[in-house]
Amino acid sequence: MGSGIDIGQVPKVSIPINPTFGWSVGNWMEYFFDGIKEGKLRASKCPACGRVFLPPRMVCERCFAKCEDWVKLPETGTVQSFTTAHVKVGADGELEDLSQPEIIVLVKQDGADTCVAARLEGESASVGMKVKAVLDPSAENFLDMLAGYRPAE
Amino acid sequence: MDKGVAIIAYAQTPFEADANASREIQVLEVAKTALEAAGLKQEDRYTVISATNDYCDGRTISNMRLVEPAAAYKKNESKVEMDGGYAAIYGLMRILSGDHQVALVMGVSQASVYARNIPGIMMLDPTFDRQRWLLNEVSAGALQARAYMNAYGATEEHFAGVAAKNLDNAARNPLAYNKLAGADAAKVLAARKLYEPITELMLAPFCDGACAMVLASGEAAAKADKPVWVKGMGFAHDSYLTERPLEEMGSLELAARSAYDMAGITDPASQIDLAEVHENFAHEELMAYESLGFCGKGQGGSFFDSGATLLGGDLPVNASGGATGANAVCATGLARIIEAAMQIRGKAGEHQVEGVNTAVATGQTGPCAQENVVFVLGGE
Amino acid sequence: MAHTDVAVVGVGYSKHVSKRRDVNIAEMVWEAVSACYEDAGLKPKDVDAICTGNMPAFEGVNIPELWGAGHWGAYGKPLMRITTGGTTGGSVAHGGYYAVSSGLFDTVLCIAFEKQSDGNSTMGLNTVALADAAAMFQQGVDPGFLAAFGGGAVGIAVYQAASYMKRSGCTTEHLDKVSVLCRTNAALNPYSHLKQPGLTPEEVAKTTLMQYPIRFGHVCPATDGACAMLVTTGEKAKKLIDKPAYILSCASCSEEASLMGIAGSGTTNMDPCVQESCKIAAKWAYDLAGIEDPRHEIDVAEPYSPFAHQLLMFYERLLLCDDGEAPAILDSGSMNLEGDLPVCPSGGVISTNAIGASAMERVSEVALQIMGKAGDRQVKKEVHKGVAHGWGGAVNLNVVAVLSDTPRRS
Repeated sequence: MGSGIDIGQVPKVSIPINPTFGWSVGNWMEYFFDGIKEGKLRASKCPACGRVFLPPRMVCERCFAKCEDWVKLPETGTVQSFTTAHVKVGADGELEDLSQPEIIVLVKQDGADTCVAARLEGESASVGMKVKAVLDPSAENFLDMLAGYRPAE
Repeated sequence: MDKGVAIIAYAQTPFEADANASREIQVLEVAKTALEAAGLKQEDRYTVISATNDYCDGRTISNMRLVEPAAAYKKNESKVEMDGGYAAIYGLMRILSGDHQVALVMGVSQASVYARNIPGIMMLDPTFDRQRWLLNEVSAGALQARAYMNAYGATEEHFAGVAAKNLDNAARNPLAYNKLAGADAAKVLAARKLYEPITELMLAPFCDGACAMVLASGEAAAKADKPVWVKGMGFAHDSYLTERPLEEMGSLELAARSAYDMAGITDPASQIDLAEVHENFAHEELMAYESLGFCGKGQGGSFFDSGATLLGGDLPVNASGGATGANAVCATGLARIIEAAMQIRGKAGEHQVEGVNTAVATGQTGPCAQENVVFVLGGE
Repeated sequence: MAHTDVAVVGVGYSKHVSKRRDVNIAEMVWEAVSACYEDAGLKPKDVDAICTGNMPAFEGVNIPELWGAGHWGAYGKPLMRITTGGTTGGSVAHGGYYAVSSGLFDTVLCIAFEKQSDGNSTMGLNTVALADAAAMFQQGVDPGFLAAFGGGAVGIAVYQAASYMKRSGCTTEHLDKVSVLCRTNAALNPYSHLKQPGLTPEEVAKTTLMQYPIRFGHVCPATDGACAMLVTTGEKAKKLIDKPAYILSCASCSEEASLMGIAGSGTTNMDPCVQESCKIAAKWAYDLAGIEDPRHEIDVAEPYSPFAHQLLMFYERLLLCDDGEAPAILDSGSMNLEGDLPVCPSGGVISTNAIGASAMERVSEVALQIMGKAGDRQVKKEVHKGVAHGWGGAVNLNVVAVLSDTPRRS
């Protein structure tokens, strides 16, 4: 580094304690996950401006109003953006090549104002493409219950 | 903020994939060099603000072990956990309050010793996105790139062109490490595909590095050689990435507006001579042209095509190579400010642009450039 | 230069309890923020900037406002994240002070929080001790040693307590009395965590000994909680409320040595009870505030004391008496709510510790005491000036703020 100090390689150390985090999802997200178990997509709605949040939020960031209204959304939505992934982040934090590329889509559920990022089960994607949610109420982890999307047609 | 606060000294380490030196040694080097250049001694009164991140550093209270090397021992010291540009903002605030005359601000991180893409994943919504392991800073950046292309017709060739310009500029900057003299768009497009449309050469790779800067009140800067004045500044927060239109850089626009208002800039394209932009991906630089008012909304691609932002153009952007050339998280935005100050002082060496008197520099924090900071700097 | 006066015009808290499973981090913070807006009679549109902070390693979320700040009215606003460990909340309040006094912003919302039940705080504290793990492992130190002896903050506190007792003549009975003082005050504070009305020193003395001299009864709980505070210019404050609490000055002092000390204390050659940086920061803050005789000018003190001995130790280091005098002052009753210089009327950190929020809750409590809004725990004497303190780092970061019922400049 030009400082004239040769200290050798700083070793990489993995700290021998596994921290466990147990995030509370809160009542809003819990209601959302409970809905998916019954095959329903529930979004919260701002009582002031009518913005619809999926995943739900408790507070509308624009109005600072508590979103105590709920709406049930259809399974269909529109692709807002997408990317074909050739890599994923490995446990060491580096980008490692995927054997098979996969498509990640950013979907606005019909009736919602915010997006969900998920996998697309399909060959190709385009912005504006209609898609349908793939719900898997049997998933072990409730976060996987909204498993992804597939082309609507 | 007429002649309120000036940059009177700065220092950067060479940015490297692996500096083979501890974080403390890197910080010591820049703090020492910057203080000496400012004519300050450790016993003088100054305040110290560092920009570091607990996750990048792998330690809680990341500023704690930096107290001695950062020349902050028994000083009024604090830390922002954002880009180094925010450390400059906080230093500026402290001076403007009248309680402090001089502030040493710095930013550092060492990508060679942390799991590079993990801190970005840890920024995601822990109740949903984080645990699904699809989004990270690069895949989110790709979603933003596609949204921008779709909205305004920018192409992958534009992104590749920007990346090639920055890689080529970086080759003239002895402190940059990601450099490729004579790079062209074809080479960038042919590089390893990560998340389409982003290839490995379109992103600002995380690396090791530190930089420091000394800010002084007008009074304290009176004796300084070629002080560079802070004419304006602004910063802003935007919504989480799935809750905002990704094709816009809303927070950069807001930050620029407030910085320009303060600096009296009404026509940025003609009043600004040079820009140093913190772009984590090539497409972000195009979006920044628009948010900084260099061209109209959606005109980023054609503005680049005009050649204005090349080293010899009317409004060179990232003459240093930008973040593409060197991206040490928490130091990157501060390095942009320092590079802009170097240009105004005429001390940028091989990548010096002629006749720079007013320059703009930006820094950012968060996926898809969620939070941005803007500085407008000027010479005498 | 601006030199604007700065005043607290609103304070809000979330519930402070061990575990909040009904809200996530962003939602819990919203409780404090919305209470704060209500208290000040302001709305997010009235706020020009936001300062926020917590100890991110505890919850395992990096820069949580990127995801959560929409819940706090931050949409499109300038936002600055300031984190400095145990002193975080104090540092955030200082950030708010500078943001306003710089003249750049009129009204700033300060937010500090911790949701300890979401994460693993011992892990968070162990990474303090493990900060130099790379160097230690290179020398062949067993990681188990660090886990056992680093032991987070308690490991450091016992050395500090023992040393303080030796220097000051403080006894274990004094520690018991400090716990009683704080926990009974906490019983009067709706936002405290551990409320123990009628607690006696004898009961504290019967709690399990963790490591001499510290018993369970002398130690803070782990709390989920958030605190928000609105600060604005002196001019605007006068229009908003009758009795604003002015922040006269802020100062911090860092005295942390870089090398690994015994059991991760971080300071190889310093007695952790000396806390010279606290004296320096206090001196700086008093000087800026124009306070010449803190012992007589300060009416209420909120030293940051997650461990019982620290209340006495920091009372001294805040220059409120000579070194070694605090135990006798405690015995005199002067530190009680009806005393001459009440200490920790809120119940202190020993009763409530949402770590990132704790140092800001010292500032907000002093503000409430000055505003006369402290409810059942309002001290008997008239409060003109108060001092709020934060402590953290490995052992040697200190932040001090001085508040008053009259502004500094006008």
